[in-house]
Amino acid sequence: MSLSSIVTRSLTKSYGAVTAVDGMDLDVRSGSVFGFLGPNGAGKSTTIKLLTTLVQPSGGSIEILGINAVKRPLEVRKRIGVVLQQPSYEPNLSVEKSLEKYGMMWGIDGRTRRDRMEELIDAFDLQEIRKRKNEDLSIGQRRRVQVVREFMHEMELLFLDEPTVGLDPGARRKLLDFLKNKAKTGLTIFYTTHVLTEAEYLCDQIAVINRGRVLAVDTPEQLKSTFGKQKTIKIRLAGRHDGLTGILSGISDCKIDFNTGTDIIIHSSRSEIVLSQVLQLLIENNMTVEDLSAVPTSLEEIFLRMVDSNAPNS
Amino acid sequence: MHPTLRLINRNLTISLNPGFVVWQVMFPIVYIFVAGFAYTALIDSVALGGLQLDYPAFIASGMIGFNIMNSTLVSGIIIWNDRRHGMFEQILVGPFTRRNYILSNVYTIGIVGLISAALITAIGFPLFFQTAQFNILTIPFLVFASITGSILFGSIASIISTRLRSSEGFNVIINTVFLFFAFVSTAFYPAEGAPEPLATAFYLNPLTYLVDIIRAGIFGNFTEFVMMEMLVLVSLAAVLFVVAIKLLTRLDL
Repeated sequence: MSLSSIVTRSLTKSYGAVTAVDGMDLDVRSGSVFGFLGPNGAGKSTTIKLLTTLVQPSGGSIEILGINAVKRPLEVRKRIGVVLQQPSYEPNLSVEKSLEKYGMMWGIDGRTRRDRMEELIDAFDLQEIRKRKNEDLSIGQRRRVQVVREFMHEMELLFLDEPTVGLDPGARRKLLDFLKNKAKTGLTIFYTTHVLTEAEYLCDQIAVINRGRVLAVDTPEQLKSTFGKQKTIKIRLAGRHDGLTGILSGISDCKIDFNTGTDIIIHSSRSEIVLSQVLQLLIENNMTVEDLSAVPTSLEEIFLRMVDSNAPNS
Repeated sequence: MHPTLRLINRNLTISLNPGFVVWQVMFPIVYIFVAGFAYTALIDSVALGGLQLDYPAFIASGMIGFNIMNSTLVSGIIIWNDRRHGMFEQILVGPFTRRNYILSNVYTIGIVGLISAALITAIGFPLFFQTAQFNILTIPFLVFASITGSILFGSIASIISTRLRSSEGFNVIINTVFLFFAFVSTAFYPAEGAPEPLATAFYLNPLTYLVDIIRAGIFGNFTEFVMMEMLVLVSLAAVLFVVAIKLLTRLDL
């Protein structure tokens, strides 16, 4: 088995004057869950379309499971599973018929199809809707069926493009746990999402992209320690104090991000020192602290900061 | 199983649902038995070659062509439905090539056309069996008409499916095409006796050629004109088929 399931070098895709993917280098380790994060229009879906051979690149190379995906796309498609961002369903088929037919389309024999269908219906709580037609399902239910359907066939690499959009929290958690277990069996998962907590929960590695370029690739922990040395200090005062910003302005490396007069949020990379200085000043000015916390910067904040710093006018 | 066969299986499952089959049978039955007998008071008989067909026999044979057109227009819009419901992309990220997808649609349209023709032939048979002149060419003529007609109308539906993006536009175009093909043709009434512009318009419509060929097969009316109609029909079907395949091959994702 190859060490990397996905390798791209200088991958580029342009639509006229617009470059959707701009010289992307990716290396996705086999058996890992690879998170692909980026704001709307960052190039996530185009990248998935390129990696799943749906569109041809304008430049660069793509190797999927050791196969040149540009030259031998069908061989790649036989070994991958794909849940695209847009809904896909046959409106007049029932849920169980959709699963059954999808298995048939992948050449799965009848008995295996039925067994697998029953397993998936149980695992994803589809019993109640199994006889209902796709056109009669809610958006979330339809999305669930679309994701579940992909597990009707065997695969070595699964692409999921924002699979949890429209799912309720229970269904979302069930899917994430199911994916975690699948990853333990050796399945490589390429996962795009906007929900940072999902990426943190599921992914072994995360790539942050914006404007078609990879800004960073690392484990969630490493990303946080590299880009999130700052801590967030949250203070709530007993009463309102309008001169707060002035009082705290003398402290170095103390960035006040939010101040209502009673609630203050401060970012600092010297949080321990800054915290004691802030407390001292508050006491000196007869301010009573009602609540106080110092938390590490979340992945979401790191993501937003990275994307902001990559914005065209930054 | 070959990937194309797997896709045909899938296409037939979504095309031949009970509603479609009932509609495919009920719709022509209403025309054959209601219009057929009601219009007998207006159209006593229709001349075809050396035969005088009563109107129910005329319309029952016309309904075979009508049903081929009707069913293949519907199954031809599988592509439209697949695009609209995301299945086109989903299939193309699966173990299939575009060629598999295109061929599966062509075969599905052909199968649906043959099934529809067989169904209406069976239903209309009691009405035309007295005047029918079955011979060695009847079955080949019917099969030729079914396959050529299916490819022709299926290609038209495919072309419309690949060119349009909005549901409203698609419905307007499909309904307009359906109305023109269905009623500006010799499926329901003979060209003879119709006002000259209308009679000319009949022969701008491939359904007219299709039903003429079917009637020639059933009633043994093999004339030079019918042979020419066969040539026109097969040429038109070939051109439209090539255009449909080209458009499908280039369809953006």
